[in-house]
Amino acid sequence: MYLSLRGITKTFDGVTALDGVSLDIDEGEFVCFLGPSGCGKTTLLRIIAGLEKPDAADIRFAGRVLTDIPARERNFGIVFQSYSLFPNMTVARNIAYGLECRKWPRQDIPDRVAAMLALVNLADQADKHPHQLSGGQQQRVALARALAGKPEVLLLDEPLSALDAKVREELRAEVKDLQARLGVTTIMVTHDQHEAMEVADRIVVMNRGRIEQVGRPVDLYERPANRFVAGFIGRINVVRDLHGHPLAGIRPERIELVDGAGPQSDCRIGCVDRCVFLGSITRVVLTVDGQSVTLELQGRRDDLAPGTQIAIRLPERALMRLDDGPP
Amino acid sequence: MTSAVPADGGAARNFDSDRLAVAALAAAVVVPLVVFVAVPLVAILRLSFVTPDGIGLENYAREFTSPKFIHIVANSFSVALTTTLVTVVLAYGFAYALRRTAMPFRRTCGAIALLPLYAPSLVQALGILFLFGRNGIVNRTFDLDIDIYGFWGIVIADVFYSFPHAYLILSAALAVGDARLYESAMMLGAGPARMFRTITLPSTRYGIVSAIFVVFTIVITDFGNPMVIGADYSVLATEIYNQVSGQGRMELGAVIGVVLLVPAAVAVVIERLITRGQHAAISDRSHPLTIVPTAFRDRVAFVYASLVCLAIAAVVAVVFVASFVTLWPYNMGLSLRHYRFDVQNGIAPLWTSVVVSLMAAGIGVVATVAAACAARWLKPLQAQFLYFLSVLPAAVPGMVLGLGYILAFNHPGNPLEFLYGTLLILAVCNVYHYHAQGYLIATTSVGQVSRVFDETSTCLGAGTLRTLRAVILPIVAPAIVSIGVFFFVRSMVTLSAVIFLVTPATQLAAVSVLLLDDSGNQNQAAAFSVCIMLIVAAALGLFHALARLTARRGARNSGAGAASGS
Repeated sequence: MYLSLRGITKTFDGVTALDGVSLDIDEGEFVCFLGPSGCGKTTLLRIIAGLEKPDAADIRFAGRVLTDIPARERNFGIVFQSYSLFPNMTVARNIAYGLECRKWPRQDIPDRVAAMLALVNLADQADKHPHQLSGGQQQRVALARALAGKPEVLLLDEPLSALDAKVREELRAEVKDLQARLGVTTIMVTHDQHEAMEVADRIVVMNRGRIEQVGRPVDLYERPANRFVAGFIGRINVVRDLHGHPLAGIRPERIELVDGAGPQSDCRIGCVDRCVFLGSITRVVLTVDGQSVTLELQGRRDDLAPGTQIAIRLPERALMRLDDGPP
Repeated sequence: MTSAVPADGGAARNFDSDRLAVAALAAAVVVPLVVFVAVPLVAILRLSFVTPDGIGLENYAREFTSPKFIHIVANSFSVALTTTLVTVVLAYGFAYALRRTAMPFRRTCGAIALLPLYAPSLVQALGILFLFGRNGIVNRTFDLDIDIYGFWGIVIADVFYSFPHAYLILSAALAVGDARLYESAMMLGAGPARMFRTITLPSTRYGIVSAIFVVFTIVITDFGNPMVIGADYSVLATEIYNQVSGQGRMELGAVIGVVLLVPAAVAVVIERLITRGQHAAISDRSHPLTIVPTAFRDRVAFVYASLVCLAIAAVVAVVFVASFVTLWPYNMGLSLRHYRFDVQNGIAPLWTSVVVSLMAAGIGVVATVAAACAARWLKPLQAQFLYFLSVLPAAVPGMVLGLGYILAFNHPGNPLEFLYGTLLILAVCNVYHYHAQGYLIATTSVGQVSRVFDETSTCLGAGTLRTLRAVILPIVAPAIVSIGVFFFVRSMVTLSAVIFLVTPATQLAAVSVLLLDDSGNQNQAAAFSVCIMLIVAAALGLFHALARLTARRGARNSGAGAASGS
């Protein structure tokens, strides 16, 4: 195993941030830590970086024990949310900084800096100071700086959260592309499920200092381990006492609307409460047997005004068993 | 797993080198603080208990049963309390006029209010004597017999002297305010008087308390003004000087020093405790105030602020003018004869002062910035200890510190005795006299540097010292320069701490002013003061020109960036 974490525990003033977290990460993988704020994902990343000292942990990297190695010795690249470029240095000096610290041969540094700038498409910005760049450009420089020293692992702490939505999406694709090209093992912390699903090979869903589930995006969406994961990645309808299951879930887009033809045996009748047009889909909230159910239909639907009676079907193959998970 | 052993060994070694760097930095800060603040204080305390019959309270008993001493203590407190009341009320009105009205010339008035900071302390008393003294222009012109010497003279001079300190604190308190509170009150039908009483006063209460204690400390420890204008009205600060310099009664000086230390220390401690809660007063959700011009209010404010500025400027101006006339106020013909300086060493002390002030600026910058950086990396408890040591000098009156230096360093047993009588000890004394203020500027600006920079630098492979040199110090460079200017200016004008430490060979300019005045040569004292003020003005002018230049270069850089970026 390339990076192996065992039993990582951390408390801050008696509050548990991480509660015995264990995880294995393969070489060249892109892993996302996903969870609500306060779930411990950033703390876990900082412990991997060496910036935070765990209360208990066994961290191994390529077979070596990493636990007591300080951050400056780990050669892990890191990119923070924002404002981490040294304001007193030019873009080029920022990128060269880590190379100087790691004692690269002096004559190799300019070439490496130029190559990194070309990699993030900022070759013409080398002599600018950080405050002269846009937020997106700054984060690309931060990325170039983190990658310049050929880090063993790239750590990204919500690197896109401070950016505008449009820039964020562009940069998201760029990060994924860069990672795939360089093949560098990457861990990114995010609270944005779309971001995680777009870039990650595997997603680690965290909640209250524990890992809820680890898996490919498609696994997490189609086979969530519990209600928390199901609710955090996409939307979920929780249906009780149906088909004998104590608890089952179904994604809003998997519920079928039964048109026209007379009611069939597996149909249920509901009354529309709300109908919201969201562009590519229309979201309908209805009450069925006293329970609220959400379904999503393709395109625009003008025929589902509040109060309309409609028939729906919950296909057997779309129902997911859900453990109760944390309340 | 075999590779784990060397990896761990290497890790431990490097981890220690960073910890060692922080420990060395902390030691380099703490040791001088102990040697140059704590040791002199202990020396004073110890001496105050030394009697011919051994250790005891006899010195205190003798002083506190002496009616003369009780009288002096009463004098000091009446002067300090009266001055505090007058200064804080006047400064509150002035700060209000500048911060909460739309009167014209607010910046100019603010600059004039700071004038006394850049003059030797006794310049205020000197100027008042030129106006209202026995041979002042008022008494001579109108053939009056106003007697300004004594209590009221000291109070008036100290009001001028302490005014800028109170103004700066109250101005900061009045500069921030939550517009939502005023808007809510207005919608509820409150008038201006009620809004002032129920919103403005309560929201500036920390500033008011802080100003009260700061002014009280400044006044009760002031030495220059009572020396010049006090005549027979003795206060504690002048009494220490008389006992020590006049009669060589070190142990009595030490007793008075301790007596003076107590109210000053209590005032500083209370001020720190009370202002601790101040930061929560304005939240990030507050809306900043917008000042709407109101003709009548603005006119009243302008008249008041103009009168205050006129008074402050007049006292300095009259010293300036008096230094250039043949014999104030009898012969007003222009003359440079007062610039001949027939005093011990002539003009040389001015250059000595410049050298000492430059040394103090250099040492002060290193000491306070190193302390602020050490505090950044120390564990919270250690950082708190460092903070305590660093701000401790704020509670120590200059006279007490100076006396402590004689006791500690004019002593054959002290390995640093060779410092005594050098320029270096004068510079060091000034640095630690004003250490608290310099440290607070340094720690504020170092604290504003985001921790993300440290963490980024560490992950990129830098050690603590490289992070300090390559990242943190360049970012706080502007603050470093202003700390240097602060120590330079204070060292040029201060009198109280160094008065005990100067020797004929290391005479300072502010001391020359006092000696000239003492020998009845007020016009030359004025001329010497003018020289000091001109050098201070030159230093400040240079600093502002430099700041403007760097700001403009920064603007040009960003302008070029915007142009090529588009």
